[in-house]
Amino acid sequence: MGPFDSVAASGTNSPSSTLSSSSSSSSSIAKPPPPPANDRLLVDAGYEVRSSNLRHLACRLDHLDSIFSAGEAAVPSAVGLHRSDTAVPDGFLGLPFDACAAAHYNPSDLTSWVDTLLSEFSGPLHPDAAAQLGCWSSVGPTGTFGQQNLNVPAAAQPMAALTAQEEDSGIRLVHLLMLCAERVQSGEIQQATTLLDEMQALLSYVNTSRGIGKVASYFIDALSRRVLNVGLPDSSPATTYENEVLYHHFYEACPYFKYAHFTANQAILEAMEGEDTVHVIDFDLKHGLQWPALIQALALRAGGPPMLRLTGIGPPSPDGRDTLKEIGLRLAELAESVNVRFSFRGIVAVRLEDVKPWMLRVGKGEAVAINSIMQLHRLLGAEANKAEPIDSVLSWIREMKPTIVTVVEQEANHNQARFLERFTEALHYYSTVFDSLEAACSVQPNKALAEMYLHKEICNVVCCDGAARTERHEPLSEWRQRMDRAGFSPTPLGSNAYKQAKMLLTLFSADGYDVEENNGCLTLGWHSRPLIAASAWHTAPNPPALPDPNHNSLL
Amino acid sequence: MAASDEVNLLESRMVVPLNTWVLISNFKLSYNLLRHPDGTFNRHLAEFLDRKVTSNANPVDGVFSFDKVIDRMPSLLFRIYRPSFGCETRVTMIDLERPVESEYVPVIVFFHGGSFAHSSVNSAIYDKLCRRLVSTCKAVVVSVNYRRAPEYRYPCAYDDGWTALKWVNTRTWLRSKADSKVHVYLVGDSSGGNIAHNVALRAVEAGIEVSGNILLNPMFSGEERTDSEKRLDGKYFVTIRDRDWYWRAFLPEGENRDHPACNPFGPKGISLHGVIFPRSLVVVAGLDLTRDWQLAYVKGLEKAGQNVKLLHLEQATIGFYLLPNNEHFYTVMDEINYFINPDQQ
Repeated sequence: MGPFDSVAASGTNSPSSTLSSSSSSSSSIAKPPPPPANDRLLVDAGYEVRSSNLRHLACRLDHLDSIFSAGEAAVPSAVGLHRSDTAVPDGFLGLPFDACAAAHYNPSDLTSWVDTLLSEFSGPLHPDAAAQLGCWSSVGPTGTFGQQNLNVPAAAQPMAALTAQEEDSGIRLVHLLMLCAERVQSGEIQQATTLLDEMQALLSYVNTSRGIGKVASYFIDALSRRVLNVGLPDSSPATTYENEVLYHHFYEACPYFKYAHFTANQAILEAMEGEDTVHVIDFDLKHGLQWPALIQALALRAGGPPMLRLTGIGPPSPDGRDTLKEIGLRLAELAESVNVRFSFRGIVAVRLEDVKPWMLRVGKGEAVAINSIMQLHRLLGAEANKAEPIDSVLSWIREMKPTIVTVVEQEANHNQARFLERFTEALHYYSTVFDSLEAACSVQPNKALAEMYLHKEICNVVCCDGAARTERHEPLSEWRQRMDRAGFSPTPLGSNAYKQAKMLLTLFSADGYDVEENNGCLTLGWHSRPLIAASAWHTAPNPPALPDPNHNSLL
Repeated sequence: MAASDEVNLLESRMVVPLNTWVLISNFKLSYNLLRHPDGTFNRHLAEFLDRKVTSNANPVDGVFSFDKVIDRMPSLLFRIYRPSFGCETRVTMIDLERPVESEYVPVIVFFHGGSFAHSSVNSAIYDKLCRRLVSTCKAVVVSVNYRRAPEYRYPCAYDDGWTALKWVNTRTWLRSKADSKVHVYLVGDSSGGNIAHNVALRAVEAGIEVSGNILLNPMFSGEERTDSEKRLDGKYFVTIRDRDWYWRAFLPEGENRDHPACNPFGPKGISLHGVIFPRSLVVVAGLDLTRDWQLAYVKGLEKAGQNVKLLHLEQATIGFYLLPNNEHFYTVMDEINYFINPDQQ
């Protein structure tokens, strides 16, 4: 083969394989899924490597390198390449060096080239190579690193049938994930690491831009972080702004938060009928997206609106802005425009348990609504030798005698003591959530950022322990018991709420979301798997089940 | 060995983007297979693995290219890159050597890298780099397919470079309108940088004017082991061992690394005092283990009273200029442009 025959190179004028964008997310035509995008710069250099596969390939190159360094002098003979003093061309991996070799090996396909070399040279994974696997501190499963930009998947692809191989690989991936989790549970880190490597290899046969491939890649990433102690995507408080961006996109991409806000507002509205002064305490104000709707509903109330006080709790802003106040001001403007008397107070707290009731300045005669959207579960973790904050918080809530407590939580059991059970539950839960995102959201970058939002949750559930693990979701059944023990009675979310929730869902394009009624509570799920549960509570007339050491009398 | 391997791999990972790491690591590992301990080289496998692109007379991103064979014995080929003549024009055979139209047209004679043994003008990475040089500098680039080691040792590569320089210098179609002269810049990376220096030496002897030299991580060495060689051995893709292999493959048999081709300012080097040597831009990657030799080269030029600018990128590794995904790449392209087009800034 002379030096100037161009060999299968992509050249400078052909673009890398691009994903075709499609506006329809429910095409029933069984087209083969478009190939995931190749790294553009490597294409220019003549190599085809999927961006999503870069990190995996790098690990394999690492491994190959460690093998070579371990047996340097032996390499040529290992491959059967002859040290030729004659003009006879060398064979390559046993094949005579000609078109035959070219047909079998495409050096542009780096991944299979590296795998070929590995299979020629290696036995079991070199132990040092295994340790080195952990050194890739990438941001996510797309393998971004250092100065490289995040690759955002292209617009929605038509739903298509999985190839048989993809399906098999997908099933195998789930199996390996469970196996790996078992190893982690039993402390067999070496085996877990080997399994991680195997799963990474398997990922190249699976479409990681959707379906099981995508979910698996996130969980493999989370497991890697746990096993290899690499650290979380970002855990510094300075990334509060980034968290806000992720939250915003998650809010837009799927109906979960909208549903939570809507249902809670409905409950508050109904409970506050006839009240003149309503004081809502929001356990996590975020962008205050819940409140415009309530303000407007109160404005239209028969008999006129009450005075509305809103106390919003939130974390400190790193850049010195008073975010809470800004949001409060915007809400105040809205309230003024619809003639609702309104006042706002922001409470800055890093942790919910740091908030004390006296800070909330509940006035005499105010009807209090406590609103907790995905916050109570954070109170379930405890630092060593301390009690869980949930009990004391529920206790002061009860003392406040709120008219209503709205609680929305993830409907999952991610607070189990054993890692394996937690992991399994999370895998199923988030698979369902990802499925719903896939079907319901085709808009970018909403979908990609929504996934990043979920990625952080997944990592917290899988990688963290002790006080660091804040995502301690518990199912409705558990919350019922807790609230009951703490002295609350359920306020049924009426049929009104149910009907309106259903109607809200028709605004979302995908048919797959279900609203179910569950003993006075409402759940929102995807294809009959409940994912979010909303409930409402009021102070029970009877004293709490457990004796409260601060009270002497039974009343 | 194992523990230091961990550290070594960790370090290179930290300073380059992932795709660069994959690219350079792949080269490193493939090249391992090609070098035999007895000094022979698996040329067939090397050609098989090298990703190549054809020349393209249709403009792509404003640049077109064509190959020119100027000698049959030995076979010497150039790939010439030119800016396209306006958006819609298709380039025909007549247009390939159409005279340049600007008052000032820099002509870059480019020598690709590869430690004297690897790569060709049609290697994808170098084809791409040449195109970038055309776009950035509004230059014509003549990439030289010099003969490589170990089949062709010193001075074959320099001979080919010299032939190229003479050829370029005598092309009427490459003359800048302002002064009817060809403004030549000798540019090369790694071994190409070394070739650029040595071709400049011959140009000086023969009285041919070279407007400037640009050396990117030029390949120089010496018998002594410098501090950077010892400290960075194996840490950023390159080892002293492989460097030694390439010098043994290029230098005449029996010669050591103090040969003036390898160590121009060493014990056997020639003095450049009083010589009208072209002004030079030398780009040094701080994490290249031969860094100290490159800095010594710059010192050598300075001591001889020559005009040399050093751009020392302390956090850069070898090959940083191959992919436009890091700030060093852009810094260097800007510097090169400024060096070649100082008036156009």
